[in-house]
Amino acid sequence: MATLYYLILVPMVYLAVAVFVLGTIWRIGRLLAAPSAPPPPPIYPLRKPAWLFAVGDALLLPTVLRHNFRLWLALALFHLGLLALLLGHLELIAEFKILQVVPHGIFLGHGFVGLAVILCLIYFLCRRMVSPTKELSVPEDYLLLVLFLFTALFGAQMDWARTWYDYSSMGVDEYRAYLSSLIALKPNIEGVTSAGHSFMLVGHIFFANLLIMAFPFTKLMHAIFTFAMNKFRRG
Amino acid sequence: MEAQLKNDLVNVFKSKLSSQMLLNLDTCSRCGLCTEACHAYASIPLVKYAPAYRAEVVRRIYKRSFTAQGKFAPVMGEAKEITDAALMELKEAAFSCTGCRRCMVYCPFGIDTQQIMSIAKLLLVAAQAEPETLSMLADMSVSKGENIDAFKEGFLSGIKRLEDQMIQTWRDEAGEDPIPTDVVGADLLYVALAGAHSIIPSARIFNAAGEKWSLSFFEAVNFGAFVGDPTKTKLILDRIVNEAKRLRVKEVCICECGTAVRVAKQLKGAPFKVVSLTEVHARYIRQGRIRLKKLPGSYTYHDPCQIARNGGVYDEPRYILSHLVNDFREMSPDPKYNWCCGGGGGLVAMGDETLDFRMQSAKVKADQVRGSGADVVVTACENCHTQLSDLNKHYGLGKEVRFLSSLVADALLPEPQEARG
Ligand code: SF4
Ligand code: SF4
Repeated sequence: MATLYYLILVPMVYLAVAVFVLGTIWRIGRLLAAPSAPPPPPIYPLRKPAWLFAVGDALLLPTVLRHNFRLWLALALFHLGLLALLLGHLELIAEFKILQVVPHGIFLGHGFVGLAVILCLIYFLCRRMVSPTKELSVPEDYLLLVLFLFTALFGAQMDWARTWYDYSSMGVDEYRAYLSSLIALKPNIEGVTSAGHSFMLVGHIFFANLLIMAFPFTKLMHAIFTFAMNKFRRG
Repeated sequence: MEAQLKNDLVNVFKSKLSSQMLLNLDTCSRCGLCTEACHAYASIPLVKYAPAYRAEVVRRIYKRSFTAQGKFAPVMGEAKEITDAALMELKEAAFSCTGCRRCMVYCPFGIDTQQIMSIAKLLLVAAQAEPETLSMLADMSVSKGENIDAFKEGFLSGIKRLEDQMIQTWRDEAGEDPIPTDVVGADLLYVALAGAHSIIPSARIFNAAGEKWSLSFFEAVNFGAFVGDPTKTKLILDRIVNEAKRLRVKEVCICECGTAVRVAKQLKGAPFKVVSLTEVHARYIRQGRIRLKKLPGSYTYHDPCQIARNGGVYDEPRYILSHLVNDFREMSPDPKYNWCCGGGGGLVAMGDETLDFRMQSAKVKADQVRGSGADVVVTACENCHTQLSDLNKHYGLGKEVRFLSSLVADALLPEPQEARG
């Protein structure tokens, strides 16, 4: 078991980061290297400055808001939740004064952000099981949602498990020690493998690793491509 | 399918992979938001008519041949080889899409299904599986460009007949040369469609406005674009470009044909400006070069997708109609969301072959036209006009379908002489 924990918490994390970085660079490089064809016309009427509206389209999803409010709400909650969780994870690496502009306890959201993300993911999954989205979906769509769901379930529950069941032996200090050791390339997993709920951290990191590795080879690249796409539409 | 053909088709696919096309293929999250946007799906709720599903038909082949996921884990994205069955699917997807790009307005990323369908069309052309009618029409247009001298005499005698008609109807206004052709140094080259309806009303308006114009020897419609063959599209367009350069015109005015307007407006670096007939008519009114009387009745306007959503000509037709009629009723609260008529993308050009599908897939359009409550449906595109007339008959809408230019010609008042240059 100790070996398995080590493999997931150390080499697999490095592998995931390498695959993510190189894969994303490769995908963007492939785009930049592709020949450029005369662009088809934008969608009229045009609004200026086009780039600003394109950024607005990418971040605020106005077309979804207009045509499917429920989906928009779930997407907004999900993406904002993800952002909050990413920032929260940064605080697990080190203290960032800027992130404490609004003073808050670590971990940000006390598990409620994670819960909101989980509910959104369940909604997305259910949506995929109903026509016509069902017929449009491919295995990749389900797999990504399941990976997200497991990552979030293990992650959010870990925080609650710590507070509810008094597993105080593993907390922010241990996470920080582990993550900063990874960054310093001197991995030390001692503090995060001895607690009763360590298996949850290992599960969380295992699924997160898979998700991170999948990023460059799946539709998750929309997170980057959406800006260019929306700019084309805006002209 | 033979291995050689499969290989050739993969190479043809590759030739379409520009950076923008890669983005179109790589970004879809299959959220399904575009589903409701397509008139075909809204009228016939079968998933094969959902824009994202059509795109997936192409995307599956793309994944198999060009992506790491498709090569190592094809099951994840349901990646597929090109096969005869896949070609059939491509044909159904591409030739049930009118290229209206309404789905693009709904999509959170703005994925261009029409562009993705252009891959399907090109693969069909390469496999010689494209609709024969369109291919034949495109070939005829190309050969006309190559042998203009053989066509010239017939064309000019046709024009002479039209001139006689004009002189009979508008003796005073027709002038000495009612339909000028081959005028070197003309300000405007008018590219019409074959048929009196596309030439006579426009000629009357050009003459009334005192325009120094010349009628093109070539028809505007680009069957190369309908069939999805970029080489033929260019050859057909080049005929007009070369004529415009030879005559040294300042402006090329494309008649009421949405696809022709779109294709010509995409020209880059030409020594002339490309405008649609509607834009020219709006300009004449604005400059006081023509005056119009008001026509009785209630009117609505169908925005041709290629001219409005994809060409930006929204205000001009409404400006013209404000000078033509007192009772104008918008068809859609936001013209950007106007339903496609269901006849574009070559469907109307395929005639009776597609009639059944066109009527079924445009039920939402028929409902929209009926809902407008207007007596007359006006439009500025030949395809839309034909399709709306067919819908009118099929659904018993009881409307009159008119070209905007013909209304303008009917409403012309004797021109203010002082405004003529
Ligand atoms: S709306 Fe856009 S992202 Fe969603 S399924 Fe349609 S094409 Fe794909
Ligand atoms: S371009 Fe128009 S016809 Fe084609 S899929 Fe989109 S909405 Fe449907």
